[in-house]
Amino acid sequence: MNGMNDYGKKHQETFRYTFSTLNIPETYKIEVPIDIPFEGCINELSHRIINGLNLPLYVIEELHDELEKFIDKCSVDFYDRQTVDAIDCIKNETIEIEDIVKYWEKAFKDETFSFADNKGPSNNQLFATTFHKLAHSGPSLDAILHIEYGYAQAVQDIMNRKSRQVLTVTTAQTKEMNYAMDGLNNYSTEDDINALALKHFDDQTLIQGKWNSRLDTLKQEQRAGYREWVMKTVEEMQGVDGLYSPIGNSPIGTVKNGFIISNMSLYDMEESFTIHLGSQMKSTHNIRIMSADTLNLLKLTLDENGTVVHHPQRLQTVLELYSQDLKGLVLFIDTNNLDFYSGLGKEFFDICEGSTEFHFNSLQDQLEIIKLDLKVAVENRKSKGPVSNFLSPELQARRNKSKLLQCGDVYITKHSNLASVHLVFHMVIDDSLKSGDINSRHPVILGLRNILKAACSYDITMITIPLFLTHEMTEDMTVPWCQKRAELVLKCVKGFMIESVSLGGSELKTIQFLVPQGISEEVFGILATMVPTIFRVSTPLVFNSSEPEIKSKVKNKKSTKNKRNSTSK
Amino acid sequence: MMTCNCVDAHVPPLFGVQTIFAAQHTSESCGANGLPLTPNSITILGRAQKLKTLSHPNLVSHLDFIRKQHGRIILVSQYFNRNLWTESLNCSILLPIEKVLSWAYRVLNALTYLNDNGLVHRFLTPQYILLDDEDNVKLFNYGLYYMTNSGKNISFPIGKLKYTAPEVLVLDKTSYKSGPKTDSWSLGIIVLELLLGVQLWPTLKLSQIIRKILSLTHCTDVVMRLAREMGRLTLYQSLPNELKDFLSKCICLDISKRMRPKELCDHKIFSLYEYSTILTNKYYSCKHPLLQMKLDQVYYLWKLAGGDVEWALKKKGLLRNESSILLLPRLIILEGTLYGTTRNQSCLLDLQIVELSLDLLISRLQHLKITDYDPLIDEVKERNDTTEKLPLVIREKDTEYQFHRIVLFDRLLSTYPFKRNNLLIEASKDIPPYFRGEIWACLLNICNNTEHTYLSIDKETAGVTDRQIEVDIPRCHQYNDLLSSSVAHTKLKRVLKAWLVSHPKYVYWQGLDSLCAPFVYLNFCKEHIAYACLTEFVKKYLNDVFLRDNSEVIREYLIKLSHLIAFHDPELANHLDDKGFIPDLFAIPWFLTMFSHVFPLHKIFHLWDKLLLGDSSYPLFVGLSILTQLRSTLLNSGFNECILLFSDLPEVDIEKCVLESSKFYDATPRSITFRKHELRTETREHDPCLIYEVLQNEFSPRISIYDLQELKRNSKKFLVLDTRAQGYYIEKSLPGSLNIPIKEEDFLDENFDLPPSPELSALVNNRGSVLIIIDNVFELNKVRKFCRFLVKKKFPKVCSLHGGIEAFETFNILVPAIMF
Repeated sequence: MNGMNDYGKKHQETFRYTFSTLNIPETYKIEVPIDIPFEGCINELSHRIINGLNLPLYVIEELHDELEKFIDKCSVDFYDRQTVDAIDCIKNETIEIEDIVKYWEKAFKDETFSFADNKGPSNNQLFATTFHKLAHSGPSLDAILHIEYGYAQAVQDIMNRKSRQVLTVTTAQTKEMNYAMDGLNNYSTEDDINALALKHFDDQTLIQGKWNSRLDTLKQEQRAGYREWVMKTVEEMQGVDGLYSPIGNSPIGTVKNGFIISNMSLYDMEESFTIHLGSQMKSTHNIRIMSADTLNLLKLTLDENGTVVHHPQRLQTVLELYSQDLKGLVLFIDTNNLDFYSGLGKEFFDICEGSTEFHFNSLQDQLEIIKLDLKVAVENRKSKGPVSNFLSPELQARRNKSKLLQCGDVYITKHSNLASVHLVFHMVIDDSLKSGDINSRHPVILGLRNILKAACSYDITMITIPLFLTHEMTEDMTVPWCQKRAELVLKCVKGFMIESVSLGGSELKTIQFLVPQGISEEVFGILATMVPTIFRVSTPLVFNSSEPEIKSKVKNKKSTKNKRNSTSK
Repeated sequence: MMTCNCVDAHVPPLFGVQTIFAAQHTSESCGANGLPLTPNSITILGRAQKLKTLSHPNLVSHLDFIRKQHGRIILVSQYFNRNLWTESLNCSILLPIEKVLSWAYRVLNALTYLNDNGLVHRFLTPQYILLDDEDNVKLFNYGLYYMTNSGKNISFPIGKLKYTAPEVLVLDKTSYKSGPKTDSWSLGIIVLELLLGVQLWPTLKLSQIIRKILSLTHCTDVVMRLAREMGRLTLYQSLPNELKDFLSKCICLDISKRMRPKELCDHKIFSLYEYSTILTNKYYSCKHPLLQMKLDQVYYLWKLAGGDVEWALKKKGLLRNESSILLLPRLIILEGTLYGTTRNQSCLLDLQIVELSLDLLISRLQHLKITDYDPLIDEVKERNDTTEKLPLVIREKDTEYQFHRIVLFDRLLSTYPFKRNNLLIEASKDIPPYFRGEIWACLLNICNNTEHTYLSIDKETAGVTDRQIEVDIPRCHQYNDLLSSSVAHTKLKRVLKAWLVSHPKYVYWQGLDSLCAPFVYLNFCKEHIAYACLTEFVKKYLNDVFLRDNSEVIREYLIKLSHLIAFHDPELANHLDDKGFIPDLFAIPWFLTMFSHVFPLHKIFHLWDKLLLGDSSYPLFVGLSILTQLRSTLLNSGFNECILLFSDLPEVDIEKCVLESSKFYDATPRSITFRKHELRTETREHDPCLIYEVLQNEFSPRISIYDLQELKRNSKKFLVLDTRAQGYYIEKSLPGSLNIPIKEEDFLDENFDLPPSPELSALVNNRGSVLIIIDNVFELNKVRKFCRFLVKKKFPKVCSLHGGIEAFETFNILVPAIMF
């Protein structure tokens, strides 16, 4: 069952057979080693013996019978011996009885429905099913979006008020401090200033604390209200067809009567391809390469010429939250302590905290839990733990010693309040990535492989990967560097996709490769032409050979080139 | 047995479905060959196939194993809703000893059969001993332990604890395989419960039962102890001594005294009680004729009629899917280990059985007459059915149509080779997928003594190409679940090795694996048939292609394809010739693997369905029709584009390809595709049996004089062009032939064209007829150039007569010509 190393306990017995021929009175003896328990075909074995040892064909029947008897006897002996040992073990208690009891009890309780402790769906699953039902029942989706929007507004309001007050206080404090500084040794002393600074700090903390606690309370109320509303609405829906009670205005958020869904493109440039993998049986996938700001893919609302508009993909994301079609994004993080204090991480954190998370734990809480997981992982790693075939021993040794996340490790956060994804793979990176000559065994590439494997096991059918393994353009990224990096990533991802097809999980329908905003059209063009050379772009089925000829090259490129500038629109 | 058949009779559910989950591999694990490990669900699927071959009156039959996403496996088997548990009212009533013994005896028979086939049950419970309508014992769930490789491919425990022998608790934990005697123990407990009419340990908790079983090792008379625990000691003691002896031979700690099912069958208790005289419940009421069909045929039709096992499971809540986002891991470290995953509650083992209702199928077939189930073979073809004209893919999905085909082929196959001709005629309409393996074997003339031949071939001893075979097999049609299982890998390897050993003059060429795959797939549990099919197939279509030096054979194949293109599609031939894009650049894998390397299995099936009905030249026509489908693209492509196009062949419409290839085949005289290296019984004098060097120089094919006469006899459209000087023509020529005198020097002029003449207009008017060029046999070059000239002028069906005018000599048909 679990003892992988105990596979196939076999043992060999020697089969002896003697026979005599008519003209030579002596008897011939043959000896053949046979694996017990025997799993082949006795008939075949006797033929092999006859052919291999040049025995006369007429002995075959006798030989066959003898073999059969021999194997039968050996098998009985084999199983008997095994059983005797086992029963002796129990009798003499050479094996801990309690271990056996625990093992079997655990096996039945953990693996079989009739003995499992908690049967049926978990609370989270119940809510998931309910929500899924609600989101997929006509008008309710609209209501959901309205509520989300209204609630997000309420959160935003408080945050605005907070920052306004903080600003006012800071201005006042600065003034006060300046005044105090100006009068140093005149009408104020150093002690005074220190005391003032301390007071200012305390005031700041107080205000921050006050607002934060208001924010927390609001979020908690919103979350509870939202979940209750979902459950109640579905309950009512089952009573009367399609009727739902709209949620009214309340202190936890106002429900406005409309919002504008953005119709601008999030991508500066994009090009899509339909590709085929596999030689005989072809599986179809979509590849999109696009240049966009990573965070714009996540923000619920976007600023379009001063008006706040809704993210165009939000609708889809809500519908698919609990479905078998999840969307994920790979985000590279250069800190290894699970904290988002600066850079992209901070911005991501702010987006997540900018509205209430109705379905999952807040990001902060998720990170706390991951920290606990990390402790377990570190312990495992220390005590020899799992070893990767792909890593050099030195790197493995270094990894085993570390207590932190290392380059290539990935943690996953789930979100219901991001615009176009349900989950984010945070991959830890280090400076080695900046170099021009990383290869397919680089930890980040292997990490990508792990991500794609996980995607297949957990129904993540669309995934967005930064093509250069970075989110921003820097000066070091010359055209050849970009080409080289893109080629590496595309080729490796292709390999991983082929590999994952055989895993028997869900299908990776779409892979998006994200290049940083601000890439030149020329470089983007180079990258886009690279895709069809690495992946096999599907050729459309021609139905009628007499139809007017279109250059196959044009047809092959089922690409849509949207070159629009998001700011000019 | 007396039954009457009636199409209105009620049909009870015949099949039951269960679902299990295979164990997931631990994160980062690779096989010995460096490839990723095969998923456990696939391994199980491969092993399970053997179960379909088991057949015993006391075993239910397994019908289907379906692999789904994330390691789910669905098992479909025969099912009856009565079992020993319900019969004994949950082991609460006293049953006659005879009855219990007759059940026990039949269970033992079934177990013996299983043991002989290398299986142990390991999951005996009263619930899994089913009873059919006639009170026959039918053992259920006997395959679980086998298909999961003694439980190694799953994470749940197999067996019901209280029936489990004590040693299993130790052995299973360390994954030792259980032997046949473990089943004897389980059966003993069941018989004891039935005899005493009370359940063993009905209220004990899991851990208590485990402790109880383990503690049994300390007592001397286990049966007595159990009887006491069940509170029926006196009843037990009143049992006949033989019966007590029987029980003590089942439930026995001293393993040498515990008997195997085989030995228990011979226990004297069974001769004491005339178990066989116990009346089984004869079933006299009306029966639906469907029940007379083979069970897997009914299941096949049930699926066609819209039967959906998944839906049946879903309705019972057994296919619950938890939202993936709730199950996600939180941390994936570089080594591949996942942390923070949530156990999917719907993955737990729930062996509930869902019965499949046959109502849908019955209503689909309700307007059939009883004679439809039992037709006379010769009457069958009278049916005129509009379905026959529908596309193949639709016919294959049509319940009623397939029903008739299955009934018909069932007949034809059972009388084979008696009705071989009918079989061929029917097979040329279409081949029902249900019988494909068997029909193919018939089409390839496989006799029934193949099993013995196959057995005697040594497939184990290492050979020189083993290494290459082992590398190739894990890359051969691996998108197919069945073929990617390790059982399939072993089978493929064995069949390939058997073929190599029995054909010492041939060697393993890469591609032989692909060629073998369809046969292994269709005859998964009949390796010998797969082997025989491969042997015959290679003989027929790929004679000598697997020689160590096969260049000559392959080159002949390829040049013949060129000739065929020139014959049917001069425009394409000119274009390809222009660009220098010769078949050597794309068609080698086509012919070497008979397209099995190019297409996925489901397409190969349809292609080979037709191929097997044609002769050894048929592959050339398939090649031609593929090119025809790509024609427009090819005509617009240069050399490089052509290479790219074939490096990843676009989707080919296989039905169209099949139709067209048979059209081409019918429109082509046999000698056009004559190959020196094909296998034939005799070579006649005038057959164009030529060496490669000659073929290579010619752009158009040669036709034999036999075919010329054949064309004449069948009054097909053809035109003979005599290119000799007029004098010779007048002197002696073929009646009806046209004389267009040509000199070889004419072709020195690049702009040469035929001068206008009545003959030329006749030629132009007959465009599309077979054009046969005749000259003296020594004027080879002239004829060659003239043919090329005609093809350049886009004349289709240009060919030259093999042997020239001299070939007619023995036929005595030449006459002096009358000029216009």
